Amino acid sequence: MATLTVPTPRTVPVLKSRAAAKLLLLALAAAVLVPPLNSHWGGGAWPHALTVDLSKPLASASDWVIDNRDSHPLFLYFFGYISNAVVLSVRAVYLTLLAAGWTGVTAFGALVAWRVAGVRLAAGTALAFLTCGALGMWVPTMQTLALMVVAVLASVAVGAVLGLAAGLSDRLNRALRPVLDTMQVLPAFAYLLPVVLVFGIGVPAAVLATVVYAAPPMARLTALGLRGADPEVLEAVESLGATAPQRLLTARIPLARKELLLGLNQTIMMALSMAVIASVIGAGGLGDRVYQALASVDVGAALAAGIPLVLLAVVLDRVTAAAADGTRAGDRPRTIGWPYALAVTVAVALGARLLGRLDWPAGWTLGIAEPVNRAVDWMTAHLYSGVPVVGGTADWAGHFTTWILDPVRSGLQWLPWWAVLLVVAALAWLIGTWRTALTAVLAMAAIGVLGVWEPSLDTLSQVLAAVAVTLVLGFAAGIAAARSDRVERALRPVLDVFQTMPQFVYLIPVVALFGVGRAPAVAAAVVYALPAVVRITAQGLRQVDPAALESARSLGASGRQQLWQVQLPLAKRSLLLAVNQGVVLVLAVVIIGGLVGGGALGYDVAFGLAQGDLATGLVAGAAIVCLGLMLDRVTQPTERHAKKGA
Amino acid sequence: MTLTVPTRKPPTTGTPVFSVDGLWKVFGPKADRIPADPELSTLSPADLRSRTGCTAAVRDVSFDVCKGEVFVVMGLSGSGKSTLVRCLTRLIEPTAGTIAIDGEDVRAMDKARLRELRRHRAAMVFQHFGLLPHRTVLDNVAYGLEIQGVGKSERRERAAEFVAKVGLEGMEKRRPGQLSGGQRQRVGLARALAVDPEVLLFDEPFSALDPLIRRDMQDEVTRLHREEGRTMVFITHDLAEALKLGDRIALMRDGRVVQLGTPEEIVSSPADDYVREFVRDVPREQVVTCRTAMRPASPQEATDGPAVRPDAPVAEAIEAVAHAGTPARVMDEGTCVGVVDHEQLLDVVAGVPAGSRVGRATPPAPRTSPEDV
Repeated sequence: MATLTVPTPRTVPVLKSRAAAKLLLLALAAAVLVPPLNSHWGGGAWPHALTVDLSKPLASASDWVIDNRDSHPLFLYFFGYISNAVVLSVRAVYLTLLAAGWTGVTAFGALVAWRVAGVRLAAGTALAFLTCGALGMWVPTMQTLALMVVAVLASVAVGAVLGLAAGLSDRLNRALRPVLDTMQVLPAFAYLLPVVLVFGIGVPAAVLATVVYAAPPMARLTALGLRGADPEVLEAVESLGATAPQRLLTARIPLARKELLLGLNQTIMMALSMAVIASVIGAGGLGDRVYQALASVDVGAALAAGIPLVLLAVVLDRVTAAAADGTRAGDRPRTIGWPYALAVTVAVALGARLLGRLDWPAGWTLGIAEPVNRAVDWMTAHLYSGVPVVGGTADWAGHFTTWILDPVRSGLQWLPWWAVLLVVAALAWLIGTWRTALTAVLAMAAIGVLGVWEPSLDTLSQVLAAVAVTLVLGFAAGIAAARSDRVERALRPVLDVFQTMPQFVYLIPVVALFGVGRAPAVAAAVVYALPAVVRITAQGLRQVDPAALESARSLGASGRQQLWQVQLPLAKRSLLLAVNQGVVLVLAVVIIGGLVGGGALGYDVAFGLAQGDLATGLVAGAAIVCLGLMLDRVTQPTERHAKKGA
Repeated sequence: MTLTVPTRKPPTTGTPVFSVDGLWKVFGPKADRIPADPELSTLSPADLRSRTGCTAAVRDVSFDVCKGEVFVVMGLSGSGKSTLVRCLTRLIEPTAGTIAIDGEDVRAMDKARLRELRRHRAAMVFQHFGLLPHRTVLDNVAYGLEIQGVGKSERRERAAEFVAKVGLEGMEKRRPGQLSGGQRQRVGLARALAVDPEVLLFDEPFSALDPLIRRDMQDEVTRLHREEGRTMVFITHDLAEALKLGDRIALMRDGRVVQLGTPEEIVSSPADDYVREFVRDVPREQVVTCRTAMRPASPQEATDGPAVRPDAPVAEAIEAVAHAGTPARVMDEGTCVGVVDHEQLLDVVAGVPAGSRVGRATPPAPRTSPEDV
């Protein structure tokens, strides 16, 4: 058996001793620091003396912005232009989409899909657009699409420029990389308030928040693609006497094509996700319909707007992913040239216009809100509670709240503040480096200083509960998928769809099932984070060195022994990554859960936005950023950091 | 293993194509000081690294590459040979020393001049081919011309010619990903040839290929060299390849050239133990020529027995002697310049260095008369 765990036995004692040393050091520091801190400020929640009340200065800042929005040169000549440009371009795209009519848009979408991805996706695209129309959501879909088009173009432009800079200059790469990495882990909600502060609620703020959220993946992947080019190819190009621009245009950019298209794909998906969330700050369109419907717990209406969102997400994802994949098969049979696609679109649009069929025909819509709401009512009546033996969904939610969420929350809030910091430090240091530990502790302390200790711990308790559930389910499913091809084949399409859906959409079914409250927010977070955890776990287990596994088998290890003694230890890094991703994703949705009764920080942000009380919202937003940073750093494995340095 | 040694012409005199003198390439912090400092420059690689944190990849290397010759730089991995060839066109900037191409100082060139050098005068073939995966074979071959600004139709026409020359007709529309390793390297070769360079630089071009394909490609290079007489600098870690292709070989170790000479010189008189160890398993009879192995002929020997050319490998003489049972005469344009008999031939095969055996320098003792055989 000793040979099975070859990589571990030698490292384990070292690790153990190192871990012990770290803990010892921390305990020592605690023994020195805690008594005076405790006697001075007490051991309960974050001491009031250590908080800084930011609401006054923030309120005055926001007042100043509101007062000066129409007069200060900064707004007149800079933000004003940006704002106008955004409004104009969104308007222009929207009008173009409406002018093309539903036939034109559907035809164009299908032709583009056909061109880059083949017949099946073309049919799927057409069907998706027609479904949007049939659900009576054509106009909101076009609103969302118009906003998306502008936001994606801007994100791609910004991301490509940043990525190009980071790809070509080592210094810029070192400067940009941590910023982009951090932006990636922050919940979408945190981006809303700063833009609202500057631009006010409306389309410009929505578009800009989307750009800020969606540009980083493009920048990261562009830089990655440019840096990942085969050095020998670049050397060969240089040896032929290429100038720097020639090198960039004929070699580096074409070589990075796959990454660039992947960046486009991710940017589109994140933009869609954010464009929906940005309905909270006036984005309009489908997201707004979902938001309004959820606010009045009208599941039918929410679903009618949610289905087009999911369809849009799946179609956009598949088509752009196919474009990225298609680069390898260079000589795929030509389908239709771009000029022809455009010509057909124009012809179809003109034809529809001449026939007077530009708007979606009123008779063709399918009202699903009614029947869905009836079904939900039936569920409420029959499934919510009192189902024999298993209980009802509302019962489960209630039990989950009283037995898990409440004890965790009160436990966290009962802990002395310094104990929380100590736990954070210990976890972060054990998993990562002293650097990550320091960042995590500082982020947690910042939350206390901001004066939102209690709601943050409330959010944290939801996150912890959701992460625990996610990891149990995710690891189980991941292990099953890794050990059985059949399970993996069955899971894959489900995971594919779930990973592409905008975060907001997850709230619809949980509200239908569990009503509103903290439990549904946790449920939505679990559903949202699960696919990523399952996928990373399965991949990590499958990538375990087959030779190690084979040698274990040759020694007669049972399936269980193989799993526990070979696969899991060797896949440790992937498992840690799964935890990290799980935590980040769960936080994003727990925050959004504030909209459906999750309370805590997410509610503060939404409340601040709704009431125009930007100070409250901004403080909550800053706390979300700190919480996100802390959770990411606590779960950040050392390897990831080591790789960054190389 | 058989080695077919092509007939070699003596290196042409006149101005060398590349002339390298006292070349250094040191990687690491403040690398400049090392070549200049007599104390540091003589340190062993390990000492240098521990003292300064620097690695000297190329240490004080000097050689000339003559027009029309195949100059092979051979050494094991880490010996600095790949760095050396990259220094020639400053793909890696040398630390010290001079490089001249046709008498022009390469290190003094400005960017434009250097680009001109890379575009027209020296083209390189790479170990892992360095092809652009998104372009067709034809466009890959035409790439060097495209860089130079040659119009599309003209460069494609010229590229097609070179695609044919390396035997890839009919594959113009394929992409590198659809080719085998050998075919890819043919594309790399065609790309280098298409710009009509004065010198071809090969950086271990066939190391990544299967043995059979490798032999094909070596024959291809031999053929191209015979047809075009282009100057070539060839980097390899494969001794057999070096002996097969090289007119002259520079053997490198730890950044230094430990021996520079014709294949025969390297095999028959290794400069030190390292080289001797290196060439130990080489079938010497395939490399050493009769001119080197022969001894002066006694008058009666000069008139009869089988005849061999002076630059024929010893293997040929062995065959002749074995068949005839008498010493073979080494005939140069009708006159006998010496003879080889069992003794010389066995010395070559056994690797006994010339002159190391008692009585070797004197004419043969009577005991080795042909009747004894």
